[in-house]
Amino acid sequence: MYPFSFTKVSDTREALQAGRRGGRYVAGGTTLVDLMRETVERPHALVDISALPLREITVTERGGLRIGALARMAETATHPVVRRSYPVISEALQLGASAQLRNMATIGGNIMQRTRCTYFRDVTAACNKREPGSGCAALHGFNRSHAILGTSDHCVATHPSDVAVAFAALEAVVHLLGPDGERGVPIVEFLLRPGDTPQREQALRPGELITAVEIPAHPRPLKSGYLKVRDRQSYEFALASAAIALHLRGGVIREAKVAAGGVGTVPWKLPAVEQRLIGERPSAALWADAAARAADGARPLAHNRFKVELLGRTVERQLRTLGGTR
Amino acid sequence: MSPQPQSAVGAPLSRVDGRLKVTGKAKYAAEHHVDTVVHAVVVDSSVGRGRITGVDTRAALAQPGVLKVISHLNAPKLAYRENGSSNNPPGERLHVFQDDKVHFHGQPVAVVLATTLEAAQHGASLVQVRYDAERPSTDLARAPAHDPVTYARGDADKAMRSAAVRLEMTYRTARTHQNAMEPHATIARWDGNRLTVWDKTQWVGGTQTELAAVFGIPRDAVRVISPFVGGAFGSGLRAWPHVTIAALAARVAGRPVKLALTRRQMYFGTGYRPAYECGVRLGSDRRGRLTAMVHDIKAETSTYEDFQEDVLAAGQMLYSMPNVRQAYRRVPLDVNTPLYMRGPGFATAAHVIESAMDELAHHLGIDPVELRRRNEPAADESTGLPFSTRRLRECYTTGAREFGWQRRNPEPRSTRDGDWLIGTGMAAGVYETVRKAAKARVRLDADGTALVEAATSDMGPGTYTSMTQVAADALGLALRNVTFRLGDTLMPPTPPHSGSMTMASVGSAVQAGSDTVRRQAIKLAVEDVRSPLHGANPGDVVVRGGRLHLKDNPARGETYQRLLSRNERTHLETVGSFEPPSGPERFSLYAYGATFAEVAVDARLGLVRVRRVLGVYDAGRIISPKLADSQALGGIVGGIGTALLEHTVTDHRDGRIVNANLADYLVPVNADVPDLRAIYLEGEDREADPIGVKGLGELVHIGVAPALTNAVFHATGRRIRELPITAEVLL
Repeated sequence: MYPFSFTKVSDTREALQAGRRGGRYVAGGTTLVDLMRETVERPHALVDISALPLREITVTERGGLRIGALARMAETATHPVVRRSYPVISEALQLGASAQLRNMATIGGNIMQRTRCTYFRDVTAACNKREPGSGCAALHGFNRSHAILGTSDHCVATHPSDVAVAFAALEAVVHLLGPDGERGVPIVEFLLRPGDTPQREQALRPGELITAVEIPAHPRPLKSGYLKVRDRQSYEFALASAAIALHLRGGVIREAKVAAGGVGTVPWKLPAVEQRLIGERPSAALWADAAARAADGARPLAHNRFKVELLGRTVERQLRTLGGTR
Repeated sequence: MSPQPQSAVGAPLSRVDGRLKVTGKAKYAAEHHVDTVVHAVVVDSSVGRGRITGVDTRAALAQPGVLKVISHLNAPKLAYRENGSSNNPPGERLHVFQDDKVHFHGQPVAVVLATTLEAAQHGASLVQVRYDAERPSTDLARAPAHDPVTYARGDADKAMRSAAVRLEMTYRTARTHQNAMEPHATIARWDGNRLTVWDKTQWVGGTQTELAAVFGIPRDAVRVISPFVGGAFGSGLRAWPHVTIAALAARVAGRPVKLALTRRQMYFGTGYRPAYECGVRLGSDRRGRLTAMVHDIKAETSTYEDFQEDVLAAGQMLYSMPNVRQAYRRVPLDVNTPLYMRGPGFATAAHVIESAMDELAHHLGIDPVELRRRNEPAADESTGLPFSTRRLRECYTTGAREFGWQRRNPEPRSTRDGDWLIGTGMAAGVYETVRKAAKARVRLDADGTALVEAATSDMGPGTYTSMTQVAADALGLALRNVTFRLGDTLMPPTPPHSGSMTMASVGSAVQAGSDTVRRQAIKLAVEDVRSPLHGANPGDVVVRGGRLHLKDNPARGETYQRLLSRNERTHLETVGSFEPPSGPERFSLYAYGATFAEVAVDARLGLVRVRRVLGVYDAGRIISPKLADSQALGGIVGGIGTALLEHTVTDHRDGRIVNANLADYLVPVNADVPDLRAIYLEGEDREADPIGVKGLGELVHIGVAPALTNAVFHATGRRIRELPITAEVLL
């Protein structure tokens, strides 16, 4: 681990000052500290923001949900409103990491977590994300867990978060506070595809701090859930996952929100699937037909070709679980 | 058998060292406090083959706290004498820091010493090593092999040609790592020319001889201490390069050195179960009687050592058949040398044989259990020797009954539960009963307590507990009055803690020593005119709860304490020995088991979930049933890993292990481990050893993977011949 300074801040103003000087924000530390130990991350200054008042989970005036950036995964997953109104968030959180990690890791940190690409995490391997211009060892290496969507010739690493997939499905907005004030960025714009700058993973400006993730109000109640497919039953990242929320009235799908995880360089919103569903009546044929569009545009690699098929089947299964009909 | 009443042996006790472990007081290798210790961190090669052309240590040495960087450029030359009493395979072991050659990715190329661990870690990351790299050869499928080890009886090829039924398959099993909880670690201290090391090892004696050979010093000049081992599964059976590095660094630094491998380093700094490719041909008649079997087995080894394990024996004796031909080829690759891992050889052999038997059963439409019954041999056909005990039929009967095997619809893909296809499978298991010479010191003190010591190890099976049980019964003491110590070369020598030989070997020595001390006390009493037992026949005296008395008249007797203090004896002591019978074996000695498994497969999503596993074991006498269960369940969990999850992945472009961590190398977690159950056939094996055990720890892992894969076939109708079975194959 490279030497670094460690400062604990008690309010956002102090945090922003430290952030402006190039400090890296740390809260639960469950990703950053690991990566520092592997010398993948070498921040010279850590700013501990865990004492900031950003832990509350509140229902907004408009009826949305605002999850403070420092809310822990565990407490978010078990929050009564989250459980009742957004099971897809609760399930995505509970299927992630381990109980110990969920007790430490924050929502802000979760969406900021970095890829599990083993070449990224091995400092002796070529990685454009870690060391721009060094190449991508995964492209022609062992890439079973890598992305089939949103990739570039520079990077094929998967975004590892589960809850970010649920957020993407629900069109969540990331609230940021920076030297120039506050702003909100939709999560699907906040997390960046690698393109030719895979080292840039978020649309963050220097010194900006995540203050909250907001789920906009959905006036029509959503039935939602998260399906995560993985080799073992717990404590593993997704091979493929589906976050889906539906609103049915009169036997017709009025709203459909669908995103996939484990397959994209960022949480992958599936508008083609959503559009196929809206206005239709649930049926096995509909699920199959909609899910068939899930992997549109996929660019599989040597070891992850199976994800093309698996993604469609995962979406189809979760549609059936939520929407019924066998 | 002991004339003493057996009350401790066979009792389902918790670990006697359990409290120490759960309260953190049990000291593991890296936890011993040694004054003035400095920390060492190894720098590993980032190329898979080639030469080191330069080592730039300036940045590392400039760091506060960094004391030294040692590489081949400045390391002292070491003797590296041959070591006959070790698990070093044929060939020449890796010589650390003796030349510029890189044999495999991750090979130690330098070590950084610093006053703190953090400084050493940071220093290691700053050492710049330059290489002249070549492309390594790491692919088992593409490299040429050494000359094979072979076996033949009858004429298998001819018999195959005339067999009514012929099957030919190739099975592949992945390289897997032991992945014990405790990382390998060593603390080394020199006192003049004497070396003391605290090491994670399954064999203090092996580490001792290896360090003596490497440094060219007398064996007696090396002391190895290892009281607790946090799991090993075979990885602790050699003194790996890091052990030498710790001792070398301590010599250079003139201070004690502590070196712990990182989890990542354990994937190339210690051994592993090699990857295998096994071709099998089976010939049988229409009723399923085997006529011939041919094995063509390939496994990886390093370029500098020829690692071999016993993958042939099971094929020669598990089933009756006149014709067998086997060839076992090792393929030298640019990798570090493999080593034993739980159920070595036999686990791989069982996977191949038991998968093939399941294929034959399906092909013939014969129940898999029935097929195995039809091929039970009357004697060991590889040697002609009678079996000491072989109760595999009972394992099948008990297992089938307890598992509910007869409820099975034999048709594959015939049982569903929602999205899940349900399947059941079974497999036999076999492991040789190994026992070797061992000694144990037994001392009975005048206060009525006993101390028993042997240089053995307890990597998890519960050696502390089981030896205490054996000694307590033989001495006639309550368990709480017996202390067993282990893990120090100053104690009486024992064989490696491996191959399921510890209970048979060390346990027999403990019993022999304890019997001797008890007899000494009895002799003292019957010859002592002041003893109530004076004049009694020694054979009529037993000891219970620390009191000697007549077997038939418990009122006549006295305690050890009274006897010893009256005779002004501080203690009675002896060193008990066990020697396996000399000369050729008169019996074929093996432990047997049958594993039954039920899996659920979501074929649409490519998921396999284990529902239940039952193991039934013919392992001789069970000394410590609760710990036996712990062994069995652990062995089954390991089998679930082998079948469905575990796979060390190498990037053949540069020999890098790409999943060298526990996030990417998957082992089963609690959620993957369902309803597991173990049953032991009651009994003992009088031919095996004085305490009647046949060994359990290896056996319980053997046959689990094929039982599971056979269940996957039954669930899906798909035969998957490559382990682990992963989603992409099932989709």
